[in-house]
This record gives sequence, C-alpha cells and structure tokens, in this order.
Amino acid sequence: MENNILSCEHVSMKFGGLVALNDISLNVVKSSITGLIGPNGAGKTTMFNVVTCNLKPTMGKVIFEGKDITGYKPYKIVPIGMARTFQNIRLFENLTVLENIMIGFANKVKYKLFEPILKTPRFLKQEKETKNKAYELLEKINLKEKAHLKATGLSYGEQRKVEIARALATSPKLLLLDEPAAGMNPNEKIALMYFIKEIKDSFNLTVFLIEHDMKFVMGICQKIYVLDYGAKIAEGTPEEIQKNPKVISAYLGEANVKS
Amino acid sequence: MLTTILQQLINGISAGSLYALVAIGYTMVYGVLRMINFAHGDILMVGAYLAFFGISAFMLPWWASFITAIIITGLVGVLMERLAYKPIRNASRVSLLITAVGVSFFLENLFLVLFGGVPKAFPIAPIFHGVLNYNQIYLPVVSIYTPIIALALLYMLLYILHNTKYGIAMRSIALDIDTTSLMGINVDIVISLVFFIGSSLAAVGGILWSTQYPSINPLMGIMPGLKAFAAAVLGGIGDVAGAAIGGLVLGISEVLIVAFFPSLAGYKDAFAFLLLILVLLFKPTGIMGKELERKRF
Amino acid sequence: MNRNVILTIFSIILLFVFLYYASHHFSKYTIIILNNIAITMILAVSYNLINGITGQFSLAPNGFAAVGAYTAALLSLTPAQKQAMFIIDPIMPILGSIHLPFLPALIVAGLVTAFFGFILGFPVFRTRGDYLAIVTLGFGIVIDIVANNAITITNGPLGLKGISNYTNVWWSYGWLVFTIFVVMSIINSSYGRAMKAIRDDEDAAIAMGINTFKMKMIAFIVGAFFQGVAGGLLAHLITTISPTLFTFFLTFNLLVIIVMGGLGSITGTVISTIVIVWGSELLRVFDQPMHIFNFTTPGIPGLRMIIFSLLLIFTMLFAREGIMGKKEFSWEWLFSVIKGGKKNGK
Repeated sequence: MENNILSCEHVSMKFGGLVALNDISLNVVKSSITGLIGPNGAGKTTMFNVVTCNLKPTMGKVIFEGKDITGYKPYKIVPIGMARTFQNIRLFENLTVLENIMIGFANKVKYKLFEPILKTPRFLKQEKETKNKAYELLEKINLKEKAHLKATGLSYGEQRKVEIARALATSPKLLLLDEPAAGMNPNEKIALMYFIKEIKDSFNLTVFLIEHDMKFVMGICQKIYVLDYGAKIAEGTPEEIQKNPKVISAYLGEANVKS
Repeated sequence: MLTTILQQLINGISAGSLYALVAIGYTMVYGVLRMINFAHGDILMVGAYLAFFGISAFMLPWWASFITAIIITGLVGVLMERLAYKPIRNASRVSLLITAVGVSFFLENLFLVLFGGVPKAFPIAPIFHGVLNYNQIYLPVVSIYTPIIALALLYMLLYILHNTKYGIAMRSIALDIDTTSLMGINVDIVISLVFFIGSSLAAVGGILWSTQYPSINPLMGIMPGLKAFAAAVLGGIGDVAGAAIGGLVLGISEVLIVAFFPSLAGYKDAFAFLLLILVLLFKPTGIMGKELERKRF
Repeated sequence: MNRNVILTIFSIILLFVFLYYASHHFSKYTIIILNNIAITMILAVSYNLINGITGQFSLAPNGFAAVGAYTAALLSLTPAQKQAMFIIDPIMPILGSIHLPFLPALIVAGLVTAFFGFILGFPVFRTRGDYLAIVTLGFGIVIDIVANNAITITNGPLGLKGISNYTNVWWSYGWLVFTIFVVMSIINSSYGRAMKAIRDDEDAAIAMGINTFKMKMIAFIVGAFFQGVAGGLLAHLITTISPTLFTFFLTFNLLVIIVMGGLGSITGTVISTIVIVWGSELLRVFDQPMHIFNFTTPGIPGLRMIIFSLLLIFTMLFAREGIMGKKEFSWEWLFSVIKGGKKNGK
C-alpha cells in the first residue's frame, strides 16, 4: 500500500510466558495523525517499542516506507526517518534547551573526530549551522528566550514542546508521540493539540500517537486503533470508535475521569 | 595422572565453593539494587578478622567466634548499606558505584591502620584440622567441609527465596522495585536483609578461606571478590543458583588450567578475568541466561 | 581570532613563563611536585572524559598508565641497558633491539595503550551493563600479574631502572596543555554533546540516532591514549618502574580528584588536581611520626587513605556535584564576576 508510511504485520511480543502483544496488524497512513489507545497495560508502549526497534518482536514484521526494518538497531531508525518522544519526558537534564535541540541535529553532522581538534572549516561551518538550525527551531516553537536555560528549568508544557522539537530536529517523516499530553492541565492540552496539528502541516509529517485522554485523541486523530490485553479490538475513525461496544466495555472498568 | 586430576578436581571444587559463597552475595545485591558492591570482597576480609579476634583476643571457643563473626559481619553489611548506599539509592548508578569503591577502600585502609599490614596467622578450628590420605590423594579436611557447607547454605537460601515472604519479596524487587514498594512491601527492610544474608555468606567464605590459606591481611578480599564477581557474571548475574554454578566452574577451571599448563601457573589469577571477558563477548547473560535489564521505557 | 582565543593563548604563555622561572629557581623537590601535578592532571582530565562526560564508570587508568610506562621505557632504553638489566631471563629480541627517542616513544606508548583500550572496550560496551567497572578493575590486576610474570618483556618484579630522566616541566606541561586542548575540543563538538547525552539518558540518546557504542569507545580510547602517555612521562620522571607502582590506588586517587572537582567539569578537574596533589603532600605528615608540642604520635601509614576514602564518600553523599558541578570556566564568566565586583565596590 503506497500511502502507508508504517505497517505492522502480525506483530506478537512475548516475554517468557507473558504475551504482551498478540498478532497485531496496523497501518499508519502518510500525513495522517493516527492514534493508539487502550486501557492501562494494554500494550501500547510495548507496541511503540517494537515499532522503534527497541524491542524485537517475537513474530511479525515492521515495515517503514516499504522497507522491512524488523530487527534494526534502535539508533538506525532515525536516519531512515522515525523519531519518538517518551511518556515521561526524557530531556537531557544537564544540557541546556539549545543543546538538547542540537543533539537532534547530531545525525546531520558529517565531520570526523579529528576535525574539532584541528578546527577545520567544515567543522566550524557545521557547528554554526547546527546552532543556527537549533535556534530557528526554538523560534518556531516560541521558546527562543529559554535557549540557554537548563532543560529542567522549564514548565512541564514547555519541556514537552522541547522534547518534540528535539525529535523534529532529526527531520523525521514519522513522529511517534507516547502520551504527549500526560500530566498536562486542560489548557496545556488544548495548546498541545494545536501544536501537533501545526507541526504536522509545517514539517510535512505523519504523526502516530498514544494517548489516554479521549477528548484529545478524538479531537486530533483521523484514525484510531484500540488495544486491550495486547490484542487489537477495534480500529476506525473517532466516531466509529466512540460507538464501538467492545471499546466501551474495555474502558468501562477504567476510571475515565480525565476528560 | 588420574590421581593428580582427581586431586586437582577436589581442590577446584573446594576453591569453587568459596567463590560461590561470595558470588551469591554479589549477585543478590546486583539483583535488587542493580549495583556492583565493590566492598563485598572486603566484607569477606572483615569476617575473617572478626573470627580471628574472637578466638585470639576474646578467647571464645571457635564455634562461638565463628558464629559471632558471621552475624556481626552481616550487620556490618547492613550498616554499610544504610549509611552509604541508601541515601543515594535513587541517584545515578555511577554514583552508587563510586561510593561503593570509596567504602571498599575505606574498609581496606581502616583495617590496615587498626591492625597493621603484616599478615596474621589464622587459627585453624579443630574440626577443620588434618588431612586425609586416600590412595595418594591428599584431602585437607576443610576441603571436604567447604563444598558441603556451601551446598547446605545454598539450599537454605534457595528455600528462603522461593518459600518465604521475604524471599519472594527479594525476587520481586529484583524484577521491579517500584511496583514492589507500591504493593505494601517495606523495600528498605528487604534490602537490609539481602545485605545481611550476602555479607554473612561472605563471612563464611572468609572464615573458610582463611582456614585453607591460613593467613589474613587487610587486602585479602580483593582477589576473591573480583573472582567471585566474575563467577556471578558467568553464572548469570542476578541468579543465585547461577552464582553458585559459576563459582564452581571458575574454581575447577582455574585449577585444571594450572594442572595442564604448569608454566602458566603465575597467570592463574588472570584467568577469571579472561573468562569474564569471554562471557561478556559471547553470552552476556551467563549460564542461567537471565535477562535482567529493568523496563527502561 | 576572537578575544577568547587570544586570552587563552596569553594565559598559556604566562604559564610557560612561570615554568621557566620555576625550573631555574625552585627546589628540586618542588619541581617534582610540579611535574607530578601535570602528569596527574593529564590522567585526571582524560579520565573525566569517560567517567564524567560520558557517564561510564571505568577503573582503567592504573592499568593504562602501566602499559604506557612500560612501553615508553622499553622503547627509550638502549639495547645495551636492556641487555644488562634483564638478568633473570633475557629480554625478547625485538624489544631488546628497538630504540626510539623520547617523543616517538611517548606517542607509541599512547597508541599501544589506546589499542588496549580498544580490545577492552569492545566486549564491554557492546553489552548494556555496569560491567565496565569490574572489567577495568580486573584489567589493572591482570596487567599487574602479566608485569610480574612476563619476565622476558617486563623483567618481572625487578622492573626497569635507569630510565633516562627526560621528563621536565616543558614536556609534562606541554602534554598537559595538549591533552586539555584535545579533550575540550571533543567536548565542544557534536561528539561531546552526544557523550553528555549518553550520560544523561542513554535511551533518549539512542532514540535521537546516536551510536552509543561508538561514542563510548571514542571517549574510552582517547582517554587510554593520554593515560598511556602520562604513564610514559611518569616513567621518565622517576626513572624506575615496577609492577607495584601502578596499583588501584592510582585510579582511586584520580577518582577522588574528578569527583571532588565535579564529574562533568574539566575546569573542576584542573582545580581539584592541584588541591589534592598538594594536599596529599601535606597530608603525608600523617603517615610520618608527628611532633605536637612534646608528644610524638607514631606514623600511621594508611591514615591518608582513610581520609581520602572518607572524603570521597562524603562528597558522594553530601556534595555530589563537586566543586564545579558540570560548569566550565569561561572568559565571559570571569569578566562578569569582575564587572559585578566593580559595581558593588562603587
């Protein structure tokens, strides 16, 4: 299928006797915002970890832009165009905001180890470019004034934006967001929704996200997959999912007070 | 030739049992805290010295001295954890390792200052006296007792780990410390217990070691400690039975290498390290193959 | 050339002026301490690269220094000297005949040590675990064992003596400046940023496409190179080396230095090296009998070490960031302090 940027085919993940993922197949359409939801422990983050090659699935394949990437080394997914954020924001605490973003550009840097020592023109040029690109990115997300603060000195919402910007710096084609709205108040969540929509358009991305907050997911995703106990129980548009009896009963046990 | 091999085998099993006793402490601490307790080998030394002073300074009968030494060493381990490790339990792993190195160095030099660097002769308990001679095979009595004691202790420990509340708590912490504490288990007490058991076993190892190679000095724990860690990794770090197996394999291999290649005798101690590198290269999860990396995502 | 570069070059010139003065006016004892400070600083700065910047806990320096010292010495000693010295067992022929001037000997020593760094790092960094510490600790012990047993290479427990006293303040401080320059250059590049990222959150670093194995290897091997050179400089300072010289205490000393200076700060390492080496000399009095008024306390060897280990433990418990934390000196900072002082002074 040409317009699927990501396909997971019959992915299963077993940890000893525990079946975390059971024969899951899903597709993410290019330029869409696709969601992955399900009650706690359904296997959503595990699914992400399989997609980002942090876990090798016991069975099944992960196909990115037509290429089978199952079993790739995790750091190799970035050059091919995938980047992710984490459920509990994982910025580099001892680095400044600017340096965090500059790390995102690490892949673009071409100079060899001896060049910083000899201060070659290529080194100086690429260092300057990296810094400028990082500033530009910060400008786009309205955080340029905070460039030299330690990452931990920002508000939670700002940190999340920096984490997403850092992922954007790798020029991904597919951006995976693991519960980006976790820990945010309603206003921050609305701002985040707009933010995600905007970066999707201006950076020409596809977004695949995990989220717990129903309003958030329904408000932003075109297609949603639902997991429960490691299996896919439903897929469809937000309207279809909302009416799906299996989905409703899976969540009935959950305290769904967050929206 | 056969008798030599048999002789060496027995030596190896004896040495291996000693490594096993110390390795168990390493592996248990690594299991629950994901830290390499550098000071563990020095705990062996502490046990040996306490036993020595029990007999020579306090004139206790050997069995009383040994038991007291073992218990006090266990408590020293608990104290060490409470004072130096607990405060930084949640800091980076490097911080814990650095502190452990500091504690190790501190213990070595404390005993150096208190008791001097001159090796002291360790009194051999009457029960361990003597050498049996069977068809040209010389069996020091202590070499027979050592594996038996080690096996018995191992069996008791495995029983505790699988059949008692605290033992199960230990294994649970090794899998997921945060969830375990959320389930109402007092993690601090369980960790203290782990250190108590590990240190007591190291003390047993220290006493038996000093009986076999009867001199003690403040730096005596370094080499056995290092080898015990290699044994723990060989067996599969985090796995108690694995540590015991690893210890035996190491002890026997060491002795056989020297038996077959006498010219390499001087390099005997380097063998454990070589084994460690090989294990890391080809089977990092060790003989028992446990995957110990905690959930990182 | 911007202002910072000029200031830095000027400071280096000042340093060498000071060294010129020192080499002509200071006592022999003080010169040895000065050299000691430089060599220890080379070891400490390169050690901080793997421990503090990349966050990987290595205990390798004593082993690497030993490799560098022996290599440099074996290369710089004349064939005649080696012939005469190896009395238990004659030296291996290739080693017996080779003879290099000082600088090439040092560089080869560094490269050989870097090679050891490679073979040591390769299995360890492939696995995710804290094994680096134990493996490097074991490496130090293995080097000790080999140095004692490989008599045709190292002359065993007898060691090597009569090494030419080539090391002077120019060599030691020259190499020091070079070491700091290289290490800082690496830190202020995408390599350094990647190393810090690995230290702060290795999984996030991987998620950003960083090849963590490669970065760790680079930090480790660069460190090994300079530690080998430092060993070579040491050998040509004290002119006699033996296996007992490169015990774990050497590494422990460096550990105290980089922790107290601040694990992620080269500036901190520079400061704490001076403090600790000097303080160590001062503390040496504890190891000797002391005369306080009319009392004489017996010398207690090992008391110094207890103080050091307690220093380390307390720093880890109460002041983990050390003197500088992760901050580095910069000319801008200095000027802002001066300006701030002037404002208050008005």
